[in-house]
Amino acid sequence: MLPNIYKGNYKLLAIAPLLLIAISLFFIPSIKMGVDFQGGTLITLSMNRSVDAPQLQSQLAAEGIDATVQSFATTSGYQTEIEVPQSKDLVEAESLKTSFNALLPKVSQLEIQAYTNSSFNDQYLQEKAQLDNLSDQMFALAKVNRSDLNISTTNDLDNRFTESYNAVYSNYQNSVTGPLSKLVQYNSISIQIVSPVLSSSFISSILIISLWSAILSALLVFLFFRTFIPSLAVLTGALCDVVIAMGAMGLFQIQLTLPSFAALLMLVGFSLDTDILLTTRLVKRKGDPRDNAFDAMKTGLTMSLAAIVSFGGLFILSILTHIPTYYEISAVCLAGIFGDMFATWGINAVTVLTYVEHRKVKENELV
Amino acid sequence: MNLFEDRKLVALVLLFVIFLAGIIYYKTPLSGVIIMTGVIVFGSLSLFWKESHIKIIGLALIVLLALTSIYINGLKFGIDFVGGTRIPVTLDQAVDQSTMDEIVQTVKDRVSVLGLSEVQVQAIGDNQLYVEVPSNDENTINFVESTLSQQGVYTGIVDGKIAVSGDNIFRTSISPLTGTQLLQSGGGGVPDWGVAFSVNDVGAKQFADAAKGKQDYPVYMYLDRPTDAALFLSRATIKNATPSDSNEEEVMGAIRDALKLENDNIPVYIIDDIQNETNVTPTDNMTEAIISANASAQVKQMLKERGFTVVEMPDAKMVPSFQRTASQVLVLDELDSVGLLTAPILSSGVTSGVPNYNFIITGGVPVTDPTLKAQAVDDRVKSIESILKGGALPVQITLGSKTVIPASLGSEFLKLSLITIAGSLIVIAIMIGVRYRNLTATLPIVLISMAELAILLSILGAFTIDLPTMAGIIAAIGVGVDAQIIITDELLKKDEHHTTREKIDMAFSIIKTNIVVAIFTMVPLLFSRLLSGLLLVEIIGFSESTILGAILGYLLTRPAYAAIVEGVLAKEDEKKKTG
Repeated sequence: MLPNIYKGNYKLLAIAPLLLIAISLFFIPSIKMGVDFQGGTLITLSMNRSVDAPQLQSQLAAEGIDATVQSFATTSGYQTEIEVPQSKDLVEAESLKTSFNALLPKVSQLEIQAYTNSSFNDQYLQEKAQLDNLSDQMFALAKVNRSDLNISTTNDLDNRFTESYNAVYSNYQNSVTGPLSKLVQYNSISIQIVSPVLSSSFISSILIISLWSAILSALLVFLFFRTFIPSLAVLTGALCDVVIAMGAMGLFQIQLTLPSFAALLMLVGFSLDTDILLTTRLVKRKGDPRDNAFDAMKTGLTMSLAAIVSFGGLFILSILTHIPTYYEISAVCLAGIFGDMFATWGINAVTVLTYVEHRKVKENELV
Repeated sequence: MNLFEDRKLVALVLLFVIFLAGIIYYKTPLSGVIIMTGVIVFGSLSLFWKESHIKIIGLALIVLLALTSIYINGLKFGIDFVGGTRIPVTLDQAVDQSTMDEIVQTVKDRVSVLGLSEVQVQAIGDNQLYVEVPSNDENTINFVESTLSQQGVYTGIVDGKIAVSGDNIFRTSISPLTGTQLLQSGGGGVPDWGVAFSVNDVGAKQFADAAKGKQDYPVYMYLDRPTDAALFLSRATIKNATPSDSNEEEVMGAIRDALKLENDNIPVYIIDDIQNETNVTPTDNMTEAIISANASAQVKQMLKERGFTVVEMPDAKMVPSFQRTASQVLVLDELDSVGLLTAPILSSGVTSGVPNYNFIITGGVPVTDPTLKAQAVDDRVKSIESILKGGALPVQITLGSKTVIPASLGSEFLKLSLITIAGSLIVIAIMIGVRYRNLTATLPIVLISMAELAILLSILGAFTIDLPTMAGIIAAIGVGVDAQIIITDELLKKDEHHTTREKIDMAFSIIKTNIVVAIFTMVPLLFSRLLSGLLLVEIIGFSESTILGAILGYLLTRPAYAAIVEGVLAKEDEKKKTG
């Protein structure tokens, strides 16, 4: 049988997790944003033969494509992931399009008014000049000549503008896939382009969701425990898990993507499992708190092990198949569960034990 | 004990039969909702009625329901697991939620025509869609791509002259009329609906010329009116479509009137008569003969021999529908096979011949019930708006490059995912067996986890199981095992102060807190659309399966597990006492 680690000066137990958290905090800034949040282009090739990633990367660089190339073996052949940062042309085209679409209804309305009433002519021409200016920038991006386009009405302008935007988009795609198909042979290609607008709305969306999750879980924990310190301990435990998981993301270069974000959320729920187990057993149960704590730890570690088996299975699967969704979820959860074992049984157990023993002393004094 | 005297059990079985009938009758995806309801009803009952056998039998019945549903309705997997093609579609501009819903529906409708009912259309953010087709067949994918990228061409024809063409309409000016605008729209009586639009200089002149003096004439609104074509209808079709106050002659006249156009008439023939007529010939070697797919092969062959290109249409699209104008003239109102979608009547205000830039189209709906009427008006306005815009989507779209997932790869993913679940369960079973050195506690864990798997698969598989959903299922089972460990731990503890019942209650107080908090940390993700205006399709499946797993665990599987272990332990105790 293991000796009870909570006999003796248990406060020392907090050192290891605190160290772990310090290390994690150090690594968090180096978390890489995935294509979801950073925007840009992720190209996935599946192929029969392995490819020399550094070589392909330098070949692409020679073609003027600043890309990061990674290559993997999977159960079904080989896979190469090529990440290309946000294209300047696309970013610019998108902002031009937004301004254009905002201005267009006004200009076409003025165009109609100017037909019937010449007093609107000046205002129409003035606004139209702005629209033309935006269009000229778009045409320049699309490398088309305005004089070749035969534009007479605002409707024509709208149509040509949209065509040019599409041209910018497909030119960009071709500029990447063109050299690729020359350099490597692949069976299938998947191109995921996340525009700056989309990535920023993803970011704001996950911030809102995180906030709601935090508020809801904090409220519920306070509602269930109704005492300040233990509730705070439970929430600190959850926070520690997320911090450690994020540290691991920075250290092991697990990208922050929508799936890894979902995993972090799930981790909050999971970490509460062991924290609540500990707090319930210590606060609500009679007997020696130190024995209770050790007892809870044995149960908690068994639970963590079971969870490690599940997510470990998923992790192995993700390595075999190289499915990014599986990899990101399982890796983040594994790191979080690992962190949870330290945080719960180091920091939380110590906090709650101190609280319970302190309370007992007080009660005895009162008696 | 006589089973029939156990009223609770009888009630449970009766409910089971009702749910069973439900999943057999309604199929997917409703079967998923029914099983979910079953979980909630049986779960609430097992929380309410505390008998152990109710809890266990309740779970067993739900598992039976789940397995039956899987057997009958099958499971739907996303293209990651069955193979297929994903086509990203980027919208020209960001749109609000209701417009996005409309776009998703339109795209679904468009691609569903070729029997591709399993096409999934999902919104990604507010300016992107994923169209997922469970097929890698090149022709199918080309069809879907061309259907998606196709922009319709709108033409409004008045008395054989083009009055409005889509090119001349300002797309941004097309909008429904408000109630006050409808009141002011003039004419006799207040119309039910109205759509306003503006045209440019060219359009205004064109309309003025075409509509001059044509008061009470219909504007035939065509979307993609075929050029150089002839229409062949069977006498039976015409007879069925003829209004009771009319006859074949008048009906044919109305159809001819609608199909006429300077330089591009679409002649119409009755199939039953053409055998004897030799003058039914194509204009040139490109002329299309539009005919029902159900027409006899002999007729089609004959048309081919006469030099037509035969274009077959579903029967439903060949059926004309009519209306009468205020002056009792019969007018063809709809004929899908030639793209005629509706024919509103010109009001006097616009037929003076003076160029006009702003137009309104108004009309009534033949519905009196207020709620139904509101819906009919809404549908009508939407359809007119979309016809004017080129029938397509409210915004322009760009197709991205497609991703192909080979079917073999998908099934490999699925196989490996299921092996992972099985493997994890085996390892967990061994681990817990070693930890507690008690098989009677570990076997039920495996059984319960398998029950959870079956129920989760049957509910989620009634919709679509994609990668994040599968990851969520694996996670849910892992977390489920954790709760069972807490129960096992409490029950196996050598604690003489508490009864088994008290021990279970203690375990459940921990589990309840866990589950409630865990559910509510994931709920914001599930309602991402409500909270942040953005549905995170990529990971929504993960939150669905973890939340579902937690609810299922709280209501059914954990109580059943506790009941099983409690029963087993009680028997062991008895043995010890007697032995």
